[in-house]
Amino acid sequence: MGVVEDTEPPLKRAKRLTDEPNGFSANSSVRGSSVNNNSLGDLMARPLTSQGDEETIGSKGVIKKSEFIRIITRALYSLGYDKTGAMLEEESGISLHNSTIKLFLQQVTDGKWDQSVKTLHRIGLPDEKAVKSASFLLLEQKFLELLKVENIADALGTLRNEMAPLRINTKRVHELASSLISPSSFISHTTSTPGKESVNSRSKVLEELQNLLPASVIIPEKRLEYLVENSLHIQRDSCVFHNTLDSDLSLYSDHQCGKHQIPSQTLQILESHTDEVWFLQFSHNGKYLASSSKDQTAIIWEISVDGHISLKHTLVGHQKPVIAILWSPDDRQVLTCGAEEVIRRWDVDSGDCVHMYEKGGISPISCGWYPDGQGIIAGMTDRSICMWDLDGRELECWKGQRTQKVSDIAMTDDGKWLVSVCKDSVISLFDREATVERLIEEEEMITSFSLSNDNKYILVNLLNQEIRLWNIEGDPKIVSRYKGHKRSRFIIRSCFGGYKQAFVASGSEDSQVYIWHRSTGKLIVELPGHAGAVNCVSWSPTNLHMLASASDDGTIRIWGLDRINQQNQKKHVHGSSSNGVIHRCNGN
Amino acid sequence: MGRLFVVNLEGKIYSCKHCKTHLATYEDIISKSFHCKHGKAYLFNKVANVSIGETEERLMMTGKHTVADIFCVSCGSIVGWRYETAHEKNQKYKEGKSVLERLYFQHIRTSVSRTPGLILKLLSQI
Repeated sequence: MGVVEDTEPPLKRAKRLTDEPNGFSANSSVRGSSVNNNSLGDLMARPLTSQGDEETIGSKGVIKKSEFIRIITRALYSLGYDKTGAMLEEESGISLHNSTIKLFLQQVTDGKWDQSVKTLHRIGLPDEKAVKSASFLLLEQKFLELLKVENIADALGTLRNEMAPLRINTKRVHELASSLISPSSFISHTTSTPGKESVNSRSKVLEELQNLLPASVIIPEKRLEYLVENSLHIQRDSCVFHNTLDSDLSLYSDHQCGKHQIPSQTLQILESHTDEVWFLQFSHNGKYLASSSKDQTAIIWEISVDGHISLKHTLVGHQKPVIAILWSPDDRQVLTCGAEEVIRRWDVDSGDCVHMYEKGGISPISCGWYPDGQGIIAGMTDRSICMWDLDGRELECWKGQRTQKVSDIAMTDDGKWLVSVCKDSVISLFDREATVERLIEEEEMITSFSLSNDNKYILVNLLNQEIRLWNIEGDPKIVSRYKGHKRSRFIIRSCFGGYKQAFVASGSEDSQVYIWHRSTGKLIVELPGHAGAVNCVSWSPTNLHMLASASDDGTIRIWGLDRINQQNQKKHVHGSSSNGVIHRCNGN
Repeated sequence: MGRLFVVNLEGKIYSCKHCKTHLATYEDIISKSFHCKHGKAYLFNKVANVSIGETEERLMMTGKHTVADIFCVSCGSIVGWRYETAHEKNQKYKEGKSVLERLYFQHIRTSVSRTPGLILKLLSQI
């Protein structure tokens, strides 16, 4: 034990010097352990690990020192720092590969195949099969190189006397044998560019050897990078509030977004509507916001680069409250649906109404676009579903599909499924090609639904104030439930949003916006501010931090990041330890 | 108020006297012999398009119950009450069921036009 102590300190100092230019996250644990290892008390506390033949480092005693140093050395060589790599091997006394293996690798690189096979046997691997496969690989390369220089006799000799006796991979042996007959065509078939090719194929051999032989014999390339990436992924996935881009992940401290990455402050209030706002939606490209209101108009808003929103067009024409406004797949047009009135199609640039869709005697109460933008679907008051082409010609009409007058309808944007509420508590997913139907059978009445971007999930709003998430790939399965908001009289809508649509947001009759973490179902924030029920929410598909809400108070609120608190968080980070819980946010 | 979510019922329907929103169907009647201070009331298995108020303890003719008033979602007027819990064993059957007061609802027929053909046929046979 005393011996261990004496040799540790200079080692740790040397390692820190080599580590810092590369800034690995292991830094903090190394510093921590150097303090630990120097105290006798700590050594006494971990008798097992120091007694073993493997020294360990790190506060938990799971990292074996020789492995740690070897993967660092490997990384240094991969990055091109050969001198530093060699120096580390020397100073630590732990070499990356022992001399036999070094020789072996050198021989493979130089193409000395016979010698490399001999050295391979000298390495002393316990796994017979691995030795055989590796020998086969080396001999195969020897064969191919002989073939290239058209040394058929020697190639044949290799195949017969060296490869066949191994008795593995006989199919390949046959293939190679047949190639002897027409060597040139075989070569041109398998090689890429001449000249460089021998180098490339040798490094390929090295790669495959790495896969065949155990990792402790030949340290896999990029092992350290792989471990660090894994760690980042785990941190990111366990971050409940995660709402930043991957490029903002840092190695310097454990990643954890605070709540300040969730939009929670009103940045703007849009007051152009003169009555309740019932629906809103961001365009697919995130540059526009469309809203529709009980005041019989719809508005298209433009979002500037700095996030400021201004009115672009007011769409006037409906004689009834406008219950929905939907963007065409190319964002150049919108559809509006007047409550039990007509459907209108508008051009976004000019703000003009381009077409009106109606059918005698019945009226639409929900609508949607075809995924190619060339047609329109509508749920009608007589419970049928109608489909028109853009010019108003009726394409199809399905009767008697639904039992309720008021219900949503949508088509997934891959054009596969027609989704509608067909019975009080049942959603029908109709496959238009295969004409099969899948059903989502709920326990309560369904008031509205919304589809995810990837067409794999659907959020179902129920009468009993619950929102349920269903997976609709294959047979529908329920995945999560979200509770907390209030709904007793109105149609309240919810949506997906944020980084990888990891959050679920919803309106509520208590005038607040609710946001849950999608996979855990945990309620993250409740946002007060509106003075009336929040009917609909939409999260920008391009700006992770912008959320819009429509309310009975006639306003639309745009929610964003809490700028003031963000500044405070930054100050906090500078003062705290490097292993801090708060992550240094993206530099805005 | 926002965009109302209103359910449509079929058959013989009882609807709100003020706004004609469907409240319950004839099939769901459990008992027609309930009473309240305004007169008669019917006990229903289930009702639709109502929102529930605060629960409170009330002493009724049949004993102490925990009830909550129910309101029409469309116009907000009170239409009856719902039994949450009954304190006496023989009153337990009422739990979860709703009472609509006769004063607040009216009887209307379904709007599904399945029946006209049948009626005409019957009339022609008379």
